Amino acid sequence: MAEQVSAERAAVVTGLAVTSALGRGPEAQLAAALAGTAAFAPVHRFDVAGRRVRDAATLPDAGPLAAELADAVDAACADAGLDAAARADTTLMLAVHSDPGARLAAALATGAGLAGARRVYTTACVSASTAVADAATLIRLGRADRVVVAAGYLVEPDQYALFDSGKALATDGAVRPFSHGRTGLLLGDAVAAVVVEAKQVAQGNHAEIAGWGRTGDAYHPVQPHPEGRGLAAAIAAALRRGGIGPDEIGYVNANATGTDYSDGSEAAALRAALGTAAATVPVSSTKSVHGHALEASGLLELVVTVLALRHGKLPVNAGFTGPDEHCPLDVITAAPRPAGSSYALSLNAAFGGACTALLVRAS
Amino acid sequence: MTARLRVLAEAAWPEPGDGSPPPVPGLVYSSFSPLVAAVADRCLGRREPAAAPERAARTAVVVVSASGDADSAEHVAATVAAGGRPGPLFFFQSVPNSVAGHVTGRWGLRGPVVCVSPVGEPMADGLAEAELLIDDDACDEALVVLVEQRPQDCAAAVLVTRTGETR
Repeated sequence: MAEQVSAERAAVVTGLAVTSALGRGPEAQLAAALAGTAAFAPVHRFDVAGRRVRDAATLPDAGPLAAELADAVDAACADAGLDAAARADTTLMLAVHSDPGARLAAALATGAGLAGARRVYTTACVSASTAVADAATLIRLGRADRVVVAAGYLVEPDQYALFDSGKALATDGAVRPFSHGRTGLLLGDAVAAVVVEAKQVAQGNHAEIAGWGRTGDAYHPVQPHPEGRGLAAAIAAALRRGGIGPDEIGYVNANATGTDYSDGSEAAALRAALGTAAATVPVSSTKSVHGHALEASGLLELVVTVLALRHGKLPVNAGFTGPDEHCPLDVITAAPRPAGSSYALSLNAAFGGACTALLVRAS
Repeated sequence: MTARLRVLAEAAWPEPGDGSPPPVPGLVYSSFSPLVAAVADRCLGRREPAAAPERAARTAVVVVSASGDADSAEHVAATVAAGGRPGPLFFFQSVPNSVAGHVTGRWGLRGPVVCVSPVGEPMADGLAEAELLIDDDACDEALVVLVEQRPQDCAAAVLVTRTGETR
């Protein structure tokens, strides 16, 4: 049974930085997420003439991924108020697609004055959320006082072609999580970094990572379990760690990609894990505005969740055209809602049945 | 091996007498997924006694690879650069999670699925992640799989639990 986190070893987010197609910086993410203003547009970054779908959420002035990540790491450290000595005592966890992850992580750590790269995660769409869970674990266990977690994905030709070929992309230019008539996902840029610290050494505090769960479906190489078995277990683990019940959750930032089968699986997971509370807890997937940022999605969505909780308003699930009987959830559709609790869940799932749940408590 | 972990089973591919690993249904073209599946099957099959279902359900999989599925990635990159369309099956094997999902489904492993690119000695990286997951009580056992296609195909696996843990 997972132990609850002691107050002094609580893992708190003390610094954050974020860029996506919604814009640069936290305010741009929050404004678009609350308004439900999607960033999808025809792709001009590379040639999509031979593709079935031609839309994504790309930031027009995005630089190279390494440079964007370097800026994000530095900005998050500055936001946390880390001086040179604190940075030199801090390691980096990086979530990226794959090679050359280790070289990139080492260069980022050196450039930001950090002690070095601790881990590079390539677990597809739960890479960043797994990194956050691991960072919180290191802090809970007393093996680190501070970790920087960074993640990045900028829409590029190869993954775009693969998702297009796999018929995973939405054909109507919009991502419609949990909605009747949804046709798939659209890819999106994201580069983000957070500083996670033990509460006893932290100077600032945006939010606490109050609980976490990482699980597997043990079901299929690419399809989620139809009843959301792994995700339900991850949610249960996060709540257990946080020492709270389903009724105390005030918001769920869902993984929902706008894909028919997987959104239904996630709805089933929420029902299994939250019971009757699943029908009343406000839910939205902000992939509906910023797109699916693959390895970086978990960190972008965590940051959006933290920003929303601190602002006291919950983001809209854009693109919603009507309820789907397989997703009987309280989806936030027309307008942002007031946050009714300081607790929220940020959920992510990936190929291979990999699932994560992060429980956030706003400060 | 860290002092906090105990080895329950080990395996490699190839071992003496091995040829190519058996294909994995739905995962094509590249040896990456067959290598992972073969070495994982061999390692888990060597656990004595075999894990009870509830023990398997508390087992994580950690895949460690610097280059990932290099054969598939290179094929996709060349196809896209030439203006072509990759086959749809390449979408399904575009991340190391996919074959990890094959392994977990086959053996009923419901612990965390984590894939990493090593920043140091690969087995040490994988075992450090396994130890963290076990110490966090996210699992009781972890299957760590190392796999590379360069300079030649090779894979190794080790199943670990915490020191002093009974089976």
